[in-house]
Amino acid sequence: MQTIDLLMAGFASAFQITAFLTVVAGLLVGVIAGALPGISFVNAMAMALPFTYAMNVTHAMLFLGGIYVGGVFGGSISAIMINVPGTPASLPATWDGYAMTKKGQVKRALTIAVTASAVGGLVSALLLTFLSAPFATFAMKFSQPEFFAATVLGLVSVIAIAKDKPVITMISLLSGMAIGTVGVDPLYGQARFSFGIPEVESGIRFVVVMIGLFAIGEVVDLVATDRDLRPRKADGKVAGASFRDIWNVKGAIARGTALGCMIGVIPGAGATPGAVIAYGVEKQVNPRGKEFGTGIEAGLAAPEAAKNATTGAAMVPLLTLGIPGSAATAIMLAAMMLQGVNPGPLLFIMDPSMVYTIFAAMIIANVLMIGAGVGVAQMFSTLMRTPPAILAGFIVILSLIGAYGVRNNIFDVYVCLVFGVIGWAMKRVGFPSAPLVLGVILGPLAERYFLTSIANSRQDYTVFFTRPISATILSLALIFVLWSLWPSVRTRIGRQPAQAKPKER
Amino acid sequence: MTLNALLKAALTGAGSAALIASAGMAAAQEYPERPIEMVVTFGPGGGADLMGRQMGRLMEKPLGVSIPVSNVAGASGNAGLTRLRTDPADGYTMGTLISLTVASWASGLGDSKPEDFQVLAVVQNSPSFLFVPASSPYQTAEDLFAYAKENPGELTVATSGYGTQDDVTLKLLARDGVQMENVPFQAPGERYASPIGGHTAVLYEEPGDVAQFLKAGQLKPLVVFSKERHPSFPDVPTSVELGYDISGLDNFRTVAVRAGTDPAIVEKLQSAVEESVASAEWQTFCAETYSCIQPVTGEEAQAMIRDFLQLITDQLAS
Repeated sequence: MQTIDLLMAGFASAFQITAFLTVVAGLLVGVIAGALPGISFVNAMAMALPFTYAMNVTHAMLFLGGIYVGGVFGGSISAIMINVPGTPASLPATWDGYAMTKKGQVKRALTIAVTASAVGGLVSALLLTFLSAPFATFAMKFSQPEFFAATVLGLVSVIAIAKDKPVITMISLLSGMAIGTVGVDPLYGQARFSFGIPEVESGIRFVVVMIGLFAIGEVVDLVATDRDLRPRKADGKVAGASFRDIWNVKGAIARGTALGCMIGVIPGAGATPGAVIAYGVEKQVNPRGKEFGTGIEAGLAAPEAAKNATTGAAMVPLLTLGIPGSAATAIMLAAMMLQGVNPGPLLFIMDPSMVYTIFAAMIIANVLMIGAGVGVAQMFSTLMRTPPAILAGFIVILSLIGAYGVRNNIFDVYVCLVFGVIGWAMKRVGFPSAPLVLGVILGPLAERYFLTSIANSRQDYTVFFTRPISATILSLALIFVLWSLWPSVRTRIGRQPAQAKPKER
Repeated sequence: MTLNALLKAALTGAGSAALIASAGMAAAQEYPERPIEMVVTFGPGGGADLMGRQMGRLMEKPLGVSIPVSNVAGASGNAGLTRLRTDPADGYTMGTLISLTVASWASGLGDSKPEDFQVLAVVQNSPSFLFVPASSPYQTAEDLFAYAKENPGELTVATSGYGTQDDVTLKLLARDGVQMENVPFQAPGERYASPIGGHTAVLYEEPGDVAQFLKAGQLKPLVVFSKERHPSFPDVPTSVELGYDISGLDNFRTVAVRAGTDPAIVEKLQSAVEESVASAEWQTFCAETYSCIQPVTGEEAQAMIRDFLQLITDQLAS
């Protein structure tokens, strides 16, 4: 088989010492940057771009690919250990991952997270290698109505994390969507809610909101409540997850991986919606779904697998069609174009050895990630021994640098501080902040896809229901809402006669 | 105040003025002494980013200092221009100013004006084309326009937004009877994926941004909006040839500094830009992106910005 031969040649060149070290360096940079609150893998890749000028284009892709794979996982280390997601895609890891840490199972949580991520990433890298042509064809079937339907599915997945407070979850989600409308609108280029302030015209970035709400808000709470982050003695006794523990969540990992691969290949969606949808779906499907949020392994494994499964998948449209579907792949495209290499179908004919070296490197990176992840997590637990006040100062500085680094704008730092205060207040009064962040992320996507769908179908509003894929996803979303709301409706119906009875007497 | 004190004050004033003047001259002579920041007004990966990075990299050699790139994206490039306009006019901040951003001023975005900037040089220029996917039923501009005339508003065109030069071009076509529906795609990736996937009939774009699809034969150019044929696409007819008087809406990219920068510094930067454009590396880059031009500098470049803004403002008003 030609693919196998090419892949073997790819492995041979990826295992050459310079190439291999480039992947490892990228991976470490990625995991560390991802784990640091405030610095996301997109930041890290943008900062690394100038360093790739000096490399040949294959090494540049290996370096950026390493950062991408490592960074998407790295965010979960801080999410699990200190409840601060290092990147938006690690948001779901705080729900069950941090809950496990509170129960003293931090090692177990980290092992499950890194294994699930590696499995997701590996499957997705294999898919990139062997099925990129059919998958690219599949991705091309998706148009704006399908993107809209997938975003709606992401929005309703937020209900799954509502637990017992659907109303305030909805308020939080809708506030987030409202914040997402600030700035220049995506179609007409008109400023909205900018009050004539030029800085506000640039809009409010979801990364900045997330850093404010989670990193700053969490740190203020940490210092205010004088919480101790030092690993408890008892924690040492609870070992990491055994093979058996991992085997027990194989269903969750498989479902997360499948969803991540499908969502990753769609241009525009990416790791965060992938992880959120996987969490929502797993909560409905898993027999222990009702206990999610209290530190259930499956609730951690599914989104972890999904978010890393988007990495290889997102490179399918980039390499096969030349279409970057996300910020991370856009940076990879820039690295290639700056060196005069155009990705697309011709690349497979002109330079297959480069393509297969990238494939091999993605596979290697995902395997090595287990080691890199465990190592950096170890480093982090050493960091946690520092007094909380010092750790808090460190996180605040990193967060502000991260907020500034999103687009090198000081205005974002002020926005981040404002959301820090809001985040702390929300935490104090028990108002969920995750739906707000997801609203800021998914709201503008939903708006853009909706408006473009309508324009592309010449103002035909039925387009969402007449296209088969879009209709299927939307009906899934509807089933999802009914399924998750049914228990609370049933208890209410069940309760009413019970309350009515005493009155009759 | 005694005469003595007055004299003393006057002398001190003159002295310090002379000191400042000589310091200013020294600054221009020794310029540049530290890294110069290149503000790219769009996110990483787009056409403006590639231009800014390539130009920054090449200008390092003649200027002898490093030129780090910062992407200050947002509000159609206006966020980055706010930064360029408010940083000191000392030549240590330069930025990308492109036609798309100038067009956005016409719809009231941002608060920049052409006179806020000193354009060092217009370094890239490219007319826009209409492209169709390889499998399209319309293989010539005549077929496409004939169908659009018979079925007004039925064909869809992927563009970068309403109120842009894309929108103005489609409005001008509609005025001449070729009515097609504008479908704005903010994300470039989605804009190209939609016609290639067969979900949108036509794509409005400059050839450099879709070079990989053209080389692979996924997209086919039908018409160029210009008076003259494009040297890289000699077989593609112009809008003017086909009887549609639409031109002057080209996509251009410039490198600019804040207005009021010392003319000696501007001159140094300008010659560095010209030297970079003449380099073999830049020539390969602009040939790949079908955007090579002789750099336009000085008053001619300033006028290009003003005229373009006027043209878009007039067309949007009508």
